[in-house]
Amino acid sequence: MSPHSLSRRILAQLLLLVALGISPGLMAQAEDSEAEYSRKGADSCFACHDDQATLAIFRGKHAVRQDSRTPFGHGQLQCEACHGPGGEHAGRVRRGEERPPIAAFAAGSMLSVLEQNQFCTTCHQDDLGVGWHGGAHDMEEVACSDCHSSHAATDPVLVTSLQAEVCFDCHQQQRTQAMKPYAHPVRQGKMACGSCHDAHGESTGSMLTQQATNDTCFECHAEQRGPYLWEHAPVSENCGDCHDPHGSNHPGMLSLRAPMLCQSCHSQSGHPSIAQDASGLPSGTPSALLLGQSCMNCHSQVHGSNHPSGSKLMR
Amino acid sequence: MKYAGQFALFLLAMPAAALAEVDVSEWLCESCPFADGYHADFEAGTTYVSDDDLRYGNATGYDSDGFYLNVDGDGVYTSDGYRQTWRVADLGLDSRVVNIDGARQGAYDYWFEYSEIPSRVFGSTETIFNDSAGVLQLPPSWVAAGTTDGFTALDESLKSRFIESDRQMAQIGGRWIASDAFEFYADYSRQTRDGIDIKSGAGYTQASLLPRRIDFATDQANIGIRYHAGSGTLTLAYYGSYFDNRNSALSWQTPFTAPAGATELSMAEEPDNNFQQISLSGAFQADFWQSVLAFSASAGRGEQNEKFLDYTTNPNLATQALPRSSLQGEVDNSSYALTITSRPTRRVRLKLSYRYDDRDNTTAVDDWSRVITDVIPSGEVQQNVPYSFTRTRLSVAADVKLLDVLRLSAGFDRNELDRNYQEVAEQTEDSDWGHLRWRPASWFELRARCGTSRRDINRYDETVAMSYGQNPLLRKYNLAYRYREFGELSASLSAQSRPVSLTATVFSADDSYTESKLGLTSSDELRYTIDLGWTVSEALSTYLMHGSESVEAEQLGSAGFSTPDWRAAHDDEFQHWGVGMRWRPSGGKIELRLDYSNGEGDTDIRVDNNGVDSPLPTLTSSLDSLRAEMAWHWSDKLDLTLDIRYEAFETDDWQIAGVAPDTLPTILTLGASPYDYDVWAVGIGFRYYLGQQSLQLVN
Repeated sequence: MSPHSLSRRILAQLLLLVALGISPGLMAQAEDSEAEYSRKGADSCFACHDDQATLAIFRGKHAVRQDSRTPFGHGQLQCEACHGPGGEHAGRVRRGEERPPIAAFAAGSMLSVLEQNQFCTTCHQDDLGVGWHGGAHDMEEVACSDCHSSHAATDPVLVTSLQAEVCFDCHQQQRTQAMKPYAHPVRQGKMACGSCHDAHGESTGSMLTQQATNDTCFECHAEQRGPYLWEHAPVSENCGDCHDPHGSNHPGMLSLRAPMLCQSCHSQSGHPSIAQDASGLPSGTPSALLLGQSCMNCHSQVHGSNHPSGSKLMR
Repeated sequence: MKYAGQFALFLLAMPAAALAEVDVSEWLCESCPFADGYHADFEAGTTYVSDDDLRYGNATGYDSDGFYLNVDGDGVYTSDGYRQTWRVADLGLDSRVVNIDGARQGAYDYWFEYSEIPSRVFGSTETIFNDSAGVLQLPPSWVAAGTTDGFTALDESLKSRFIESDRQMAQIGGRWIASDAFEFYADYSRQTRDGIDIKSGAGYTQASLLPRRIDFATDQANIGIRYHAGSGTLTLAYYGSYFDNRNSALSWQTPFTAPAGATELSMAEEPDNNFQQISLSGAFQADFWQSVLAFSASAGRGEQNEKFLDYTTNPNLATQALPRSSLQGEVDNSSYALTITSRPTRRVRLKLSYRYDDRDNTTAVDDWSRVITDVIPSGEVQQNVPYSFTRTRLSVAADVKLLDVLRLSAGFDRNELDRNYQEVAEQTEDSDWGHLRWRPASWFELRARCGTSRRDINRYDETVAMSYGQNPLLRKYNLAYRYREFGELSASLSAQSRPVSLTATVFSADDSYTESKLGLTSSDELRYTIDLGWTVSEALSTYLMHGSESVEAEQLGSAGFSTPDWRAAHDDEFQHWGVGMRWRPSGGKIELRLDYSNGEGDTDIRVDNNGVDSPLPTLTSSLDSLRAEMAWHWSDKLDLTLDIRYEAFETDDWQIAGVAPDTLPTILTLGASPYDYDVWAVGIGFRYYLGQQSLQLVN
C-alpha cells in the first residue's frame, strides 16, 4: 500500500458522503473553509498532548513506523490521520477566543458517529465483517470508539477478562444478570461476552457467533449436539427454551425451577401432572418429584438419549 | 457546536488532491517515543485463602484454604514492524491463562492461547459408589433394600466425593495477508473437560444420583480465504467440530433390591459427533443511496454414529434384535441471509433483511422394542422421532433523523417456523417496534423503545398431543399463541467536560398466552438499572451501580387430566448493587482500587392445589464480594502490591436443604447442601517492570 493510500481511502469515503449528503448551500460554505494541516504533524500535537494515555499509542498497533498502513507509518498523517487536519487547532489563538476543536472520538464529539466510524473503517472495513451491516450496533449507530480504545497498548475489549466491563457500560441489564447465583463465569473474568456474541455480527438476531443459537452453545457444549436416537424436541430447536444463558436464580441457568418448568410442557396423566407443593418437602412427605434433581432424578437424559431403550430419556 | 458543522464540511469538501498533496516532509515525528524493544511487567506473589470451600474455587481456582503462589504478567516486543505480545494470568491456579500474539503488521499474524476454567459445583456431596473398571460399584458390605430406609450399611459406606470438573482450552491460529486482495486464515482449538458431574441412574421405580466421571474432548477448526476488492469483500470458510466422549456408557450396580440379572444397570453417554460446515459470505457497497448488500450462505452436516448399547444388560430378558447397530444419524443444516442497508439521504437509513434456516434431520426412522429399566420388556414398539424445522425471518426497518436532536426508528419483523412431529406445524410471529432518540444537548440523551409481537399458530394439533399422552388442553409455551408488549426508557447524562455521568434504564415486557388453558399462561418482566459515575478529581473517580430484575410467571396444571385444578405463581427477583473507587494520583506513590458488589436473589413459588394455598419456601441467594487492590510504587521498576478479597455466598434452597442421601425413599441422593461460605483471600506480591514503565517524549 502506498504511503498516502490511507489518506486517499479516507478521502474516497468522505467524498462519497459529500456526493450523497451535502446540500449545495452547505457546499458553498465549505468552499470558504480551508483545510490546514499542522506544520509539524505529531510534533505539533505533542507540544500539548503529552500525557501517558495519549502516548500509550506508541505501545499499540497504530504507531508502527514500518507498517505504512498505520497512522504513524512512513509518510502517513500521524495524529491527523484520525483526528483530521489540525492546523487551525494547533495554531495561535487570540486571548479570550475559543481554540478551534479537532475531531474527537467520544461522547459529545462534534462529528457524527458515521463520520467518526468512517475514519476507522477506512482501514478496518474487513474487520467489521459481513454481519455488521444492518446489525443492531450498526443501526443503533454505535461508534467504534464506544467499545475500542485506539490509544491503549492493549484494547480492553479484546481481553477476555476485561471485555464484559466494556459491554456492560451499555448493557447494564446483562451486568445485573451476570451477578446471579447461576451464570456463566463472566463475573470472574473467565468468559467474555464475545464468547457467544459477535459485536460486529448479526447472524441470528442476537448477534451470536454462529449461525444459530444452538450452534453457538455447541461451541463449548458439543456433547449436546447429537443427533440423538431419542431427541427432546425443544432441545433440538432452541437451548433458550429452557435455559437463560445470562444468568438465573435456578441451577443449570434454567428459566424456571423444576419440576414446574417441565410441567409447563408435560401434562401426561400420572406423576407428570401432579402439583408439587410444600407437602413434598422433607418436613412433610419427601417427594422424589420435587426434591433433589426433581424430574431429573429419573429423566436425567433431558438433552437426548442414545440408548435403544431410552425413549423416556431415562437412559 | 459552532465548529462542528464547519469541521465536518471541511473534511467532506476536501478535494482529493489536497490530501494527496499534504507535505509531510517536515513531519519528522522527532518527539515520538516509538517503543521498539521490550516492555513487560511481571507480578508475582502469594495469596492466603482463609477457608476451605470448593464453591469459592468455581472459576477462580481458590478451592481450598492455604497459600497459593501466583504469577501474572504481560509484555510486548516490537522491532522493525514485528510485534509480539504475551500475557499470562493466574499461572499458579486452575484458572490459568497463557496468551501469545505475534505479527508482522500487514503481512501475517498468529496467536496461541491456553486457558483453564475450573467448575466447582459441590464440596458437600457423599456417595457409596466406588469407581472401578468403568463401573460404579457398591461397597462389599452393602445391604440392598427396596427403599433407602433399609440401607443399613449406608452411613458406614458414604464417602466424600466432590462434584467438580476442569475445562482446558488450547487454541492456535494464524492469518496470512497475501496481498491487498487476499488473505488466508486458519485456527484450530481443542477443548477438554474432565472431572465428576451428577447423573441420575434410574432403576425400575428407584434411582441413584451417580458421581459420573466425564472425559470429553472437542476439536474445532476454522479455515478461510477472504477476498477484498474495491467496494466488496468475499469470504469462503470451513468450520469443523469433532466431539469425542471417552466413555460410551455409564454402568453402575444398583443399591436397591433388584431381580436377578438387573443388578448392574447402564445408560448411554453423550455420543461422539461431528459437524462440518461450508459458508460463503460477502458484502458490497454501492454508490446508489450509499447502499450495502451483505449476504451469507452456509451448508453443514452433523453426524453421529456411536455404537448402540444393547436394549438391556439383563441376560434374563428376551429382546428383539436392534434395527441397526448404530444410529447413522445425520442432520443437514442450511442457512441463507441477505441484508440491504441504504442511506437515501443523510437523514434516512433503511434496512431490509431476510434469513432462512433449515434443520433437516434425515436420520432413518425405525421400530424400537424398548426394555423398561432392565426389568421388564415394555412390549410396546416406539419409533424414533427425527425433529426437523425451517425458520425464516423478514425484517424491515427505517431510521429517520427528524431533527438534529431527534431520531425516530421503526420496524417490522416476521418470524415463521415450520416443524414436523410436534403439536404445532406452522407458527408466525409478527413484531412491530418503534424507537425514539432525543438528544437536545451533547451531554443528555433520552431513548424510548416500545413494541408488540404476536405469535400465531395455524392450529394446535390435539391429536398429536394425545399421541404423546398429553392433556389436550395443554399448550406448550414455545408452541402456544403468545402476545407480547414491551417498552424501554433510558436516559443518560454525560459529558467530557462534566465530572458526573448518570444513566438510568427501565424495561418492561408482558407475555400473555391467552389461548392456553393449561401450561404457562403469563410472564411479566420488569428490569431497571441506574449507573452513576463521578470523577471527583484527576486522581479520584467513583461509581455506583444498581440493577433490579423481576419476572413473574403463572402456570396452570391438571392432576386430574382434565381442566385446571392447580396453579403455580412464580416470582423471581434479583437485585444488584455495586460501588467502587479508583485513586491514582499522578506521580503519587500509591494507587488504590476498591470494588464492592452485592447480589440478592429471591424466588417465591406459590402453589394453589385444588384451592389450598401451599407456598414453597423462598429460594434465596446472597453474594457479597469485596476487592481492594493497592500498589505502592517503590521505584520506577518495582511496585509492591496488596490484594484483599472477601466473598460471602449463601443460598437457601429447599430442593436440597435437609435432603440427606436417604431422605427420599426411592432416590439415593448425594446429600448436597446449599452454598454457605465466607472466604478471605489476601495476597501480597511485587510487580517488576522490564523496559520503560512510562513513555517520555524524545525531546
